[in-house]
Amino acid sequence: MTSSPAPPGAVRTVLEYPYTRTTGGVLGAFLTGIRDGRLLAGRVGGKTYVPPPEYDPVTGAAANPEFVEVGPGGTVTAWTWVRHPTAAHPFARPFAFALILLDGADTPFVHAIDAETPDRMTTGMRVTARFARERAGTITDFHFVPEPGTAREAHTDPSARPHPGTAPTTFGDAAGQSHSSSRTTGSPEPSTAAAGPGKPGEGEGPVTLTTHVISLEYEEALYPHRERFLAGLRRGEVVGQRSPVSGKVYVPGRGYDQLERVVMGEGDDVVVAAAGAVSSFTEITPVAYHGQKETEPYIRASILLDGSDSPVTGVDIRTIPLAEFRVGLRLRAVWRPEDERDLSGFDNRSTGGWEGVFASWEPTGEPDADVRALEEHAF
Amino acid sequence: MGRRCAVVGIGQTDYRRRLEVSLEGLVRWAALAALEDAGLTFADIDAVVLGKAPDLLEGVMMPELTLADALGAVGKPIHRVHTAGSVGAATAISGATLVESGRYERVLVVAYEKQSEGNATWALSGGKSGGQGAGGTFAPWIRHYIRRSGAPEHIGWKVAVKDRRNALRNPHAHLRIPDISQAKVRESPMLWEPLHFLESCPSSDGAAAVVLASEDAARRGPSRPAWVVAHAKRSEFASFPGRDPVRPQAGVDCAEALYRKAGITDPLRQIDCAELYVPFSWYEPMWLEGHLLAAPGEGWKLTDSGATELGGSFPVNPSGGVLSSNPIGASGLVRCLEAARQVRGSAGDHQVDGARVALGHAYGGAAQYFAMWIVSADPDPVFA
Amino acid sequence: MSRPVAVVATAATPVHAAYAGPEAGLVMSCVNDLLAATGLTRADLEFTIAGSCDYLGGAPFSFVMNLDGVGAWPPVYESHVEMDGAWALFEAWIRLQVGDVDTALVIGSGKASAGDQRRVFALQTDPYTMAPLGLDPVSLAGIQARALLDAGLATEADFAATAARSGAGTLAELLAAPYVSDPLRAHDVATPADGAVALVLAAGDRARELTDRPVWITGIDHRIESRLPGLRDLTDSPSTRTAAAGAGVDAGPIDVAELMVVHSPEETILRNALGLAPGTVVNPSGGPLAGHPVMATGLARVVEVARRIAAREAGRGLAHASSGPCLQQNLVAVLEGDS
Repeated sequence: MTSSPAPPGAVRTVLEYPYTRTTGGVLGAFLTGIRDGRLLAGRVGGKTYVPPPEYDPVTGAAANPEFVEVGPGGTVTAWTWVRHPTAAHPFARPFAFALILLDGADTPFVHAIDAETPDRMTTGMRVTARFARERAGTITDFHFVPEPGTAREAHTDPSARPHPGTAPTTFGDAAGQSHSSSRTTGSPEPSTAAAGPGKPGEGEGPVTLTTHVISLEYEEALYPHRERFLAGLRRGEVVGQRSPVSGKVYVPGRGYDQLERVVMGEGDDVVVAAAGAVSSFTEITPVAYHGQKETEPYIRASILLDGSDSPVTGVDIRTIPLAEFRVGLRLRAVWRPEDERDLSGFDNRSTGGWEGVFASWEPTGEPDADVRALEEHAF
Repeated sequence: MGRRCAVVGIGQTDYRRRLEVSLEGLVRWAALAALEDAGLTFADIDAVVLGKAPDLLEGVMMPELTLADALGAVGKPIHRVHTAGSVGAATAISGATLVESGRYERVLVVAYEKQSEGNATWALSGGKSGGQGAGGTFAPWIRHYIRRSGAPEHIGWKVAVKDRRNALRNPHAHLRIPDISQAKVRESPMLWEPLHFLESCPSSDGAAAVVLASEDAARRGPSRPAWVVAHAKRSEFASFPGRDPVRPQAGVDCAEALYRKAGITDPLRQIDCAELYVPFSWYEPMWLEGHLLAAPGEGWKLTDSGATELGGSFPVNPSGGVLSSNPIGASGLVRCLEAARQVRGSAGDHQVDGARVALGHAYGGAAQYFAMWIVSADPDPVFA
Repeated sequence: MSRPVAVVATAATPVHAAYAGPEAGLVMSCVNDLLAATGLTRADLEFTIAGSCDYLGGAPFSFVMNLDGVGAWPPVYESHVEMDGAWALFEAWIRLQVGDVDTALVIGSGKASAGDQRRVFALQTDPYTMAPLGLDPVSLAGIQARALLDAGLATEADFAATAARSGAGTLAELLAAPYVSDPLRAHDVATPADGAVALVLAAGDRARELTDRPVWITGIDHRIESRLPGLRDLTDSPSTRTAAAGAGVDAGPIDVAELMVVHSPEETILRNALGLAPGTVVNPSGGPLAGHPVMATGLARVVEVARRIAAREAGRGLAHASSGPCLQQNLVAVLEGDS
């Protein structure tokens, strides 16, 4: 998750990843058809299904569907008018989601209808597929519009764009594909030219892989014990919580002692030293992934602060050489100046974020702590 | 107490990047293979249990909903288990419980991961930068183990070589390194001191499935059953003052409960072979000790003696193990079904001669979730 | 013949619009209440199983943090379903049938307030042909509601009546409210919230030792339907009907039913599928429309029914839980007091 500006006292995180989905042959054929401007159904057991199934939907038995072209016209069998679209929807303006039975198919499927107003929507209405001019081979490459009268409207939409959440690609070509960031927010003008569905791209192979960018935002208030912990860091104190039952000190506090099953509140807060012994560490050799900012190796350590019974974890060490780093090594934190402390790396559950508060950790020069005694704190 | 339960069908995909199938195609591959092995079709199945690691790995929430059709579950119960890395074995145990309860005759258990759809390090770090990966969590405990036990550094290399050699006998295995050697392991990049690249598990796609059946149903099937004579699960907190992360109490308790249920008093002698969840080489000796197969400090000696090699007195991971294939959510079920293959005598080129009793094991989280089962060629094995 | 298994104690947190604390804290409060009510220690509960969901709060392994509240030291025999707590109840009930375990702790918990659950739950749909369209559960419920209207099985007034019974307002007020996803209005859609519920199950004599008012779960079953709405009859719930048969609903009259009606039209579908008699009191708690602690909502239905039976307000009751868009997966449990 990447933090983004949030209101005071709140934590906002974005969970975003571009998932790459391999399609297999049947879905691949369906999506390839879409890329080529055609809607394919699959005939299995005497029934014509949209989307084409990889197997007999009734029995689950293996089946090789016979592909048949259906649509582009169809009939609405049920619908809803979406008055408050989400950012993941195909339109930013109100639109319909509907079950649509394509001409030639036996089963309806769900898709979007750009109908401008709910007055135009009725069960049984005729709609027709309108394909984006640039198509990726995804389910968002087309949508439906009301079919005017009996005239067969050209169904290439000059304004439609590939959906930001999806991008096409063929085998082994997952990287380097650009996704459009625009959404179909304009008011598409029905094309008057008899454009027809687009032709298959020259030299393009079948669609075998599709990318779905999933991006979710989460926002919640800082928990009270967490807020007090962060307030402590802001003023230059590391605040933990002492269990009223066992006397053990947890840093940071979790608002409870899970061993004794008791809730801990403000009265249980205690200040511990910003110095202690390394209880555990690992050298991180960063691997690349979506959202990864680290490129150089560094040490991630857990430190048992003096006066506590649970180590602070996720402490990144970048100034002490690996060869000199060891369990038992005594360190003290060097605070950043108060007006330079950045708490944005902390959320309600993360263990990282210390770098915004401490400029570095320095060896104290004291003798090492007992390594065996630190084993229970090796987290 | 409870009815007997047996493994009557086993199916698995090859474990590698499976770029030619959809998610549905992947799980069906394993499910259909298990059904075929059992001489059954989806129509014969009463309930389905599905296991996998976090939904964030593929970006599909509660995938039992979208995989129900593909697994022939429409109109039936489908149940979804998630217990971190132990999930594959926990899923098998949930399935066994469904049969033992007397409620269901035949249960299809499926577990999978399609790591190539997402990125495990991203998911495990909750989408944050600076993810340390699973190895970063376990490496400090491995160092503690080495210090505590006095084990020489080559033990980890030796396990890595053994499991990769075993993998060459298993056509489903992901990593195939014919010229694997201790020197090659030692010279591979250091990922997390003391773990080298070749001491770590790969990132695999794959699915595994078993059909579990009641005694009645099992005796009517075409294949020799592997009887589930005991299973056990234990969990503990991830971190707390007083925890022993090197030899977690939950792992000890789980093994004790398992052996007690099976009537096993001397596990190293009475169990013929084991599929242990070893994603990083050092976890072989650590779990030998942590699951009471060796005394504290003695596990590495067992490994060093060659006892855990195929042909040794207690082969561990004859399939090549997690070190050779890691479809995360399925890996625990693979351990369980590979144990079943051994006692059915159907393990092919990695068969342990004369195996009658085998252990399948998985662990997860911060070495805090444990799930284990004992399968046997005999419905009522007598241990002397 | 099933081994008799009873609910011997229940616990529930308030339903919080946004709880400012960890989910584990909600769980811990329930578990502590159950231990206090039964006089049991944590170690006395032989099997534990929880239901929760990583995606609600957007964190992988959120159930590992929840373990803090569940209790896991000394180590416990424990499992977890990435499903509503009602399915944890199912596995616990099955586990007690085996006969070697006599008590179980069952938990459902969730913190839905941090996320936009319309977007989150869109990830439950087919990952190739539906999820990229952002097909959210409210829109899909709107399509289902339309199908009901078109089939003449319900009216918008019926939807409003369900919402009115949950305490949303008067029928006239509700019908005058604007649509959010026609024909659904805001009050037709339960608001995702935070909370936890939990209960203790015990088998046979152990149940009688722990309470003088055991509430027996005499039947429990669950079934699923296709992931594709186009392959389903959205005006019916055959999976609910089959689960009800499997749970033995027909063996006697149902005094009270708590149904997981997250969108008001679902009540009509469920009543029909369950064949509820006019005398059955439905959702006296107000149902999920009055409080929807996601991932605990289904198990909360069981708690609501069990409490009414323990209080002798009802003799035989039905609890229903659902998962997936348009009532895709349904669980039915039958609960009975000592007659």
